[in-house]
Amino acid sequence: MISLIGFGGLIFSLLCSIILIFIFFIQNKKYSETIFYYALYGSVISIIISFLALMFSYVSSDFSNYNVFQNSHSSKPLLYKITGTWGNHEGSMLLWLLIMTFYNLFFSFNKKLDDDLKKLTIFFQSSLYTCFVLFVLFTSNPFLSTSIEIKEGLGLNPILQDPALAIHPPMLYTGYVGFSLVLSLALAGLILNKIDIKWIKTTKNWTLFCWSMLTGGISLGSYWAYYELGWGGWWFWDPVENVSLMPWIAGLALVHTLMITQKEQLLKRWIVFLSILCFSLSVFGTFLVRSGILTSVHSFAADSSRGIFILILFLVITGFSFIIFIFKSTDSNKKLNLLFINKSSALIVNNIVMLVACITILLGTIYPIIIEVITNKRISVGAPYFNMTVLPILLPGFLLMSVAPALSWQSNRLPKFKNYLILFILMSILSSLITYFTHFNVWGFIGITLGLIVIGASTLSIFHNYAKYNFKQFFLRNNAFIAHIGVGIAILGVTCSSVFQTEHRRSLNIGESINIGKYSLRLEDTKILEKNNYQELLAYFSLYENDEILSKIKPSKRYYHVSKMITTEAGIYHHWLQDFYIVLGNQKDNKWDIKIYQNPLINFIWLGVMIMILSGLIGIRKK
Amino acid sequence: MARCNDNDIVWTYRNKKKMKKLLLSLPLIIIILISSFLLIYLLQKKDPNKPPSALLNENLPEINLVNLFNEEEILSNYNLKEKTILINFFASWCAPCKVEHPLFFDIKKKHPNLYLIGIDHKDIKEDALKYLNEEGNPYDYVGVDKKGSVGLDFGVFGLPETFLVNSSGKIIYKYLGPLTKKVFKNEIKPLLK
Repeated sequence: MISLIGFGGLIFSLLCSIILIFIFFIQNKKYSETIFYYALYGSVISIIISFLALMFSYVSSDFSNYNVFQNSHSSKPLLYKITGTWGNHEGSMLLWLLIMTFYNLFFSFNKKLDDDLKKLTIFFQSSLYTCFVLFVLFTSNPFLSTSIEIKEGLGLNPILQDPALAIHPPMLYTGYVGFSLVLSLALAGLILNKIDIKWIKTTKNWTLFCWSMLTGGISLGSYWAYYELGWGGWWFWDPVENVSLMPWIAGLALVHTLMITQKEQLLKRWIVFLSILCFSLSVFGTFLVRSGILTSVHSFAADSSRGIFILILFLVITGFSFIIFIFKSTDSNKKLNLLFINKSSALIVNNIVMLVACITILLGTIYPIIIEVITNKRISVGAPYFNMTVLPILLPGFLLMSVAPALSWQSNRLPKFKNYLILFILMSILSSLITYFTHFNVWGFIGITLGLIVIGASTLSIFHNYAKYNFKQFFLRNNAFIAHIGVGIAILGVTCSSVFQTEHRRSLNIGESINIGKYSLRLEDTKILEKNNYQELLAYFSLYENDEILSKIKPSKRYYHVSKMITTEAGIYHHWLQDFYIVLGNQKDNKWDIKIYQNPLINFIWLGVMIMILSGLIGIRKK
Repeated sequence: MARCNDNDIVWTYRNKKKMKKLLLSLPLIIIILISSFLLIYLLQKKDPNKPPSALLNENLPEINLVNLFNEEEILSNYNLKEKTILINFFASWCAPCKVEHPLFFDIKKKHPNLYLIGIDHKDIKEDALKYLNEEGNPYDYVGVDKKGSVGLDFGVFGLPETFLVNSSGKIIYKYLGPLTKKVFKNEIKPLLK
C-alpha cells in the first residue's frame, strides 16, 4: 500500500513536470504563469511524498517492498533504517530527484533575475528532472513489490552503518545535483543572450553553495574511509573518489572565475563552458559508478541496461548543452589584460592547472576501459599514477595561490612586495629546518614549504588589510585569504600524514605494552559485548606519554549477525599534532596482532577543509 | 592591389571564425568519442563480474572434494566424466550467496541433467550445515573447501562464483558475483544446448 503511494507520487511528479514543460510554450500570460508555478510546486510536493513513503517503508520494515527487503533488516537501529533509504542505488536516485526539485523550488524564489531568464531556467531544470524521473521509473524503481510474503530482509551492508556515511550521500548529492541548476542557468542565459552581471552573481551564489556541499560530502566520505576501512589512509584514488573529485575541481575553477570576473564580466564563454562541464562530469561520474563499469568499495548492483540508459542521458544532456554552446555563445568585447603577474594571468594559470588536473584524473579513470575495448586486456591504473601526475600539476597553482588574491588588475605590481619576499625566504628556511630535524623527503619538503608559504602569505595579506574594515566587512573582504589559509593548512596535513606516517605491527599479550618514541601503549583488556544487531569485540588500550596517561583507545571488531560480516572499527586518539590509530587484528596463541599508525597532522586536513567550506558559504554573502 | 588586400583580410577573418567554431565544438567531439567507447564497452557486456579468466576454455583442474555430509565420500574428476557441471562456490558467511541461492532450485528443476556442485569455501562445517538446512540444498553434491585450496585452483576472486563445465571437461563459462535469472537465461542457457 505504502509502496503504491510512493509510486503514485513519483508518477504525479513526472506528470507535473511534463505539464510545466508544455505550459512554458503557451503564450497566454493570464493562466500559464500560475499553472507554470503550480506545476512546479506540485512536482516538489509529490516527490516529497514519494520519498517519505520510501522512508516510511524502511522505518516500518515493510519487506513487501523489494528494495526494503534487499537492503534492510528489522533489527537495525532506527537511524540506519532511515539512512538505509538512500544507502542503495534505487533509494539514492530518489534522493537525487528530491534534491533536484528542491533546487528548482528554491531557485524559483529568486527575485533579482529577469522573469524570462528565470522561467527558462526553471524550464530547463524541469526538463533535466523529467529525464531523471524516467531513468528511475524504467531502470531503478524503488517501489517494486514482492508477491510472496517475506518476514525478514537481507540487511544493510554493515560498513555503511555509520553516522558519517549516513549524511555523506545527501551532502554529496546536494553538491552533485546542484550543478544541474548551474547548467540550467547557463543554458537559459545562452539562449536569451543574458550572461550579464545579474546572471553571473546568481550563478556565483548557487555554484558556491553546491561546491561547498560537495566539498563537505567528499571529505565526510574520506573521513569515513579513514576510520572505518582500517587502512590508516584517507584517500585511495578509488575510481569513485576520482569521479567525485572531477566535478569538484571543475566547480572550483568555476567558482574562482565567477568570483574574480564578476565585476569585469570577462571570460563569459569560458564561464558557460565550465558551468556545462560541472554537471556533465557529475552525470558522467554517476554513469561510471552506477553502470558497474568501475568496481570499488561503492558496489552498487550493476546492471548494463541501467548503464546504457545513463549513457544516453549523459549524451543527450551534454550533447544538447554543447550544441547550444557552439551556436549561441558570444564573447564580450573586453580583452583580458594579460601581464606577467596580475589578476588575469593568475586566473588563467589557475584555470589551466585545474583543467589539466581534471583531465589527468579523467584519463586515469577511463584509460583501463579504453584499453580493454581495444586490446581486450585488463590493466589497472592506481594510486602511483595519480600521485605522480596530479600532484606535480597542482604545484604551480599552490605557489601562485599564496599571493593571487592580493594581485592587481592593471599592473605587474604586488603591493608591499618586499614583505612577501621576506616571508617567502623565512618560510623556506623554516621548512628546511623542519625537514633537517626530522628526516628528509623530497615531497615532504615541497609540501611543507608550500603549505607554510600559502598560510604565511595569506595571513600577511590579511594583516595588510587589517583595520581597514569593521568586523563583518573584515570576513567578507578577506574571505579569499581565509579560504587559502584553509588550503595551506590542508596541504600541511596531507603532506605530513602521508609522507611522515609511521606504521608499527606487533603481537601483544594482555598487560604487555610497546614503546613508540616517548609514548607507550598498553593492552589492558579485551571484552565481548552483545549489541542489538552485532557482537563487538573490544580491546582496551592505554596510551602513556612519559608515564602519564593520555587517553584510553578502544579499537574493536564487529560481527554482524544478519550479513555475517566482520568489520573493523579503528581506535583513534586525536592528539592535536598527531593521531594514534590502532587496528585490532587476529588472536594467535593468546596474543593479539595489532597495527598502530601514527598519522602526524592529519587533523589539519579536516580543519583546512572546514575552513574552505565555511569561507565558501561566506562567499555567498559577498557582493 | 587594394582589392587584393581586402580579400586577404576577409579570408583570414573567415578562417579565424572557422577555427573558433572548431575550437568551440571540441568538447562535443570529445564527449561523443568517449561515449562511443563506453557504449562499445557496455554492448560487449564486459562487466567486471566476468574478468578475462585464465581458466576459461581450460580443462577442469584436478579436484578431490570431501562431501560435507559424509566425510568418507570423495568426489574426483573421475566421477565427473561426461557430465555437464555447474560449480558454485558459496559460504554461509557470504551474504550475496544467499541472494542467488533460490535460483539454483529453479535451475535444478528446469535442467535435471545438469550436475550441480556446491563448494563450501573457507567455512565452518556447522555453519554450512545450518545454512543449507535453513535455505535448502539445491546441489547434487556439496564439497568442502575449508582451507580454500580448491578455490585457489579455480582462481576464485570472491564469493559467490560460478563455473560451467561441459561434458568434455572444459570450463566454458565463469561468472563472478551473485547469479541472476537474466544472466542464466541469456548466457548460461545457450551454452547448455
